[in-house]
Amino acid sequence: MFEARLVQSSILKKILEAIKDLLNEATFECSASGIQLQAMDNSHVSLVSLNLKSDGFDKYRCDRNLSMGINLGSMTKIMKCAGNDDVMTMKAQDNADTVTFVFESPNQEKVSDYEMKLMNLDQEQLGIPETDYSCVIKIPSAEFSRICRDLSQFGESMIISCSKEGVKFSTAGDIGSANVKLAQTYNVDKEEEAIIIEMQEPVSLNFACRYLNSFTKATPLSPQVQLCMSSDVPLVVEYKIGDVGYIRYYLAPKIEEEDN
Amino acid sequence: MGIHGLSKLIADESPSAIKQSDMKSYFGRKIAIDASMSLYQFLIAVRSEGHQLTSVDGETTSHLMGTFYRTIRLIENGIKPVYVFDGKPPEMKSGELEKRAERREEAQKNLTQAEETGNLVEVDKFSRRLVKVNKKHVDECKELLNLMGIPFIEAPCEAEAQCAAMVKAGIVYGTATEDMDSLTFGSPVVIRHLTFSETRRIPVQEYNFNKVLNGLELTQDEVIVFKNIIGKCFIDLCILLGCDYCDSIKGIGPKRAFELIKQYRSITKILENIDTSKYTVPENWLYEKAKQLFVEPEIQDPKTIELKWCEPDEEGLVKFLCGDRQFNEERVRSGSKKLSKARTGTTQVRLDSFFKILPSQTNNNKRKQKDITNSIGTLILVD
Repeated sequence: MFEARLVQSSILKKILEAIKDLLNEATFECSASGIQLQAMDNSHVSLVSLNLKSDGFDKYRCDRNLSMGINLGSMTKIMKCAGNDDVMTMKAQDNADTVTFVFESPNQEKVSDYEMKLMNLDQEQLGIPETDYSCVIKIPSAEFSRICRDLSQFGESMIISCSKEGVKFSTAGDIGSANVKLAQTYNVDKEEEAIIIEMQEPVSLNFACRYLNSFTKATPLSPQVQLCMSSDVPLVVEYKIGDVGYIRYYLAPKIEEEDN
Repeated sequence: MGIHGLSKLIADESPSAIKQSDMKSYFGRKIAIDASMSLYQFLIAVRSEGHQLTSVDGETTSHLMGTFYRTIRLIENGIKPVYVFDGKPPEMKSGELEKRAERREEAQKNLTQAEETGNLVEVDKFSRRLVKVNKKHVDECKELLNLMGIPFIEAPCEAEAQCAAMVKAGIVYGTATEDMDSLTFGSPVVIRHLTFSETRRIPVQEYNFNKVLNGLELTQDEVIVFKNIIGKCFIDLCILLGCDYCDSIKGIGPKRAFELIKQYRSITKILENIDTSKYTVPENWLYEKAKQLFVEPEIQDPKTIELKWCEPDEEGLVKFLCGDRQFNEERVRSGSKKLSKARTGTTQVRLDSFFKILPSQTNNNKRKQKDITNSIGTLILVD
């Protein structure tokens, strides 16, 4: 028996919005510790890693580990049927081939349930090693989203470079070039409005804007985003999801072709 | 050509071993292309009003047209192709080659007949059957690849065997061919339809060798030491299905062959057990020798192979393709620029080149593959 209850069903809506750009289908791995999802996009350039802790739910029960292969388009349809203030419960039997979503309106006058068929997905799982990153940058998520959107008008890819002075996003294309510099902020009331840079050594990497723009679909989940970079490894873009968990995106860099 | 009925057997018995995708998903991959196979395809498929493309003197240029434009398409999609040409055919193949020559003679006769009666459909059909890749085609193609800056390798013997060895050694990702015996040579990844025309919209098919073995349940012994034996079991299956090197037992079709192999695990055992009055086993059947060719084919050690993708020679290409060979100069130049452009600038790296793919967990509780789309949504309660 699997059951997970979330008072704020809107969180799950936002999570779906944040991943369905990159993934068509994915396997939700449910265990006693919570729900995990890991999947690469079709082109194997980026990866989504979602982690929802069991104690972040208002009620959580998972007797046996369960892999739920889900078509995200279908799940989005179901989540659209939920009101923003509805309480949501996901339910499945052990070894079931369907999952049920129950939505209850706040004063319980309306209860709806939707049953969805599960799929058997054969997806490759990647082992992601623990890494100490040379640069860890925290910026307001709306700011990051704006920068990605603005810069992608100029070029297909952007360079993110981090140094003592701050972090710089730059791009160049047919019409010209663009640069956005962010400096570390010191006197801010709220932590999520701050720009915080922890740097061991400077890093400069090149990334495809297309994927960054897809990542920023997670902006509604969190006021702050964290970027982790080291030379020649994938970028990590992390959004915290309240007390429930986090969503992380990994993106492989673009490199200068070694001349052969 | 290849292994008779193997692709159908895999599709029926081990569907999860076949993955459909498109060319784009192979970006950043180095891929060994079975050159004889692709030249043959081009000679058959690249035509204008049913005739092969020719130079002013009537020399065929279909293979050059195909090689030039399809290679550019691969490069534009971020794929790094390396062409592998056949060397001398193994002696065991002479029987098969004789048969092919006979069939060609037959086709020639039919063609002459069709031409006399003026049956255009038949003429087209038989002229396609007459297509043969000759040394001139191969040499011209190599010259073209040189000008394009695309590497090629001459295998000492069979190209598929060389490709398989290169995939096993990890210097390329997969073998691109239509010929299923690449799997028999043990190529971990075999890609079909990669060099097909874009307009045909045929999805690229990828065969994963290990999944083929798993799906066919030829890996009952999970111990790696036995892997070799299991591979040989698969080779025996391929020989029974019918390969290029020797005859197979008459009266045994793909289904029966698969059952027999599952039961007895080797041809030797099968021969001890089947009713020879019902099935005619070829006299002096050289299946052991054929098997040897698959297990230890003559190849160049992949470690000695160095692959280099170089800058194309635009003027050289124009000189080679335009003029007598009647290629459009503008298109050749723009093709060369595309090759050159793909070399400059930055390349997107694949994420799986940083993070290792974990071995997939086999979950016995998993829902059946077929149920994905057609399941009626009934709840199955276990326990």
